[in-house]
Amino acid sequence: MKDKLIEFIRDEFLDDPDVEITEQTKLISSGLIDSFSLVSLQVFIEKEFGKKIPAPRITAESFDTIEQMIKIIEQF
Amino acid sequence: MISLQYFVLLIATAILYWIIPRQTLRNVLLILSSFAFIYLMDKYSVVVVLALSILSYLFGVLIHKYLQKAWIHTVGVLLLLGVLIGFKYLGFLNGIYNSLTSFISALPRFEIRNLLLPLGLSYIVFKHISYLTDIKWTLVKPGRFIDFLLYSSLFTIFVAGPIERFERFKPQVEQERLKFSWSDIDYGFTRIVFGMFKKLVLADWIGYLINPVWEDLSSYGAGIRLLALLGYSFQVYFDFSAYSDIAIGSSRFFGIRIMENFNNPYLAPNLSQFWRRWHISLSDWIRDYLFFPLSKLSSKRIWQVFFVPVIAMALCGLWHGPSWNYVIWGVWHGVGLSVLQLWNTYKRKHKRLAKITKANWFRFAGVLMTFSFVTLGWWWFR
Repeated sequence: MKDKLIEFIRDEFLDDPDVEITEQTKLISSGLIDSFSLVSLQVFIEKEFGKKIPAPRITAESFDTIEQMIKIIEQF
Repeated sequence: MISLQYFVLLIATAILYWIIPRQTLRNVLLILSSFAFIYLMDKYSVVVVLALSILSYLFGVLIHKYLQKAWIHTVGVLLLLGVLIGFKYLGFLNGIYNSLTSFISALPRFEIRNLLLPLGLSYIVFKHISYLTDIKWTLVKPGRFIDFLLYSSLFTIFVAGPIERFERFKPQVEQERLKFSWSDIDYGFTRIVFGMFKKLVLADWIGYLINPVWEDLSSYGAGIRLLALLGYSFQVYFDFSAYSDIAIGSSRFFGIRIMENFNNPYLAPNLSQFWRRWHISLSDWIRDYLFFPLSKLSSKRIWQVFFVPVIAMALCGLWHGPSWNYVIWGVWHGVGLSVLQLWNTYKRKHKRLAKITKANWFRFAGVLMTFSFVTLGWWWFR
């Protein structure tokens, strides 16, 4: 799950593909992912992992790092 | 909201509230005070708030019980929207219809008189829609009716928000007993004083300076009009954020933490960031219950990049009032967000440009451009 998320985020959203993404890298609050891209991320997670993540969970507070994303995905 | 009645009620309720030992009884007291406040402001609204709360709570219980039956949620939301449209937008829609009859003579004309808009209706309907939808999404359970009634009616946030979510509100008021803390009272008092200063000194004095210009625009040149617009930009910020300060501070008198509604919006480096900082409770609501669901209706790029932001922001504008100027204001922001998305895509494809945009001077230029764009937008809002 971790590798798939990183690969999708790198391919779809990042200005600079050389930026290193770890499980703790802040993605939304740091501006690496803009807020419009979050819908595509939601759709990707639904297609790839079969999990519908409600929009109120996809925020800079609760969905900022790969670690947080995995935790939320596992909750649904 | 800034009235002697409000502050007498706030202090009297807070004293009694902390004397009562059990939270459930405290919640009853807050509900009684809230209904007293609503009755004093607009007695007709008491019935509407009570009826809507009973209706939404029943739908919440049903949605929770029959999670697979999506139609229950749809019916509940449509009923709430029906109430909002019936009270707030019927006259506006009638006006649009009658304009059409002047083009199509076969259509009959009719006049609908606007109903008296119950106090706080736009806020309560949005709160209830989020309540029903969050239950459907299993983010929250219906809870006790008494807590939901308090969520619907709490007088500190009833008139001007923030549009708090039940998910954040419920764990606070369903505790056995919220602990009294002087730091809460101190924080609440400071926020109220800060809010009063913003409203009575900054916003009202700016208004005193610019209102004569706005009342007779044709007598003034472009420079003075621009200054009046700049003044209005600050007036609307100080005015509205002041109400949020007072609401957040007043709620803290009861140990209740309400979400922040403003976060230096005029320092935002782009329009998307502006909407993460301006009227946050409304923009979060639009994002979660309108923007995301609308975006998923079609994967076509023109839909996602242009139509979704424009429709979502036009409806956000319309929420402020049944008038075309609010719709135009919303469309202005929707088009701005759409252009920003195109710019972000362009930037992603041009690596050198992406590096330049990270420079401090570019960020500063972004703040100036965003502020100018937002300020120009207030022209239609006023």
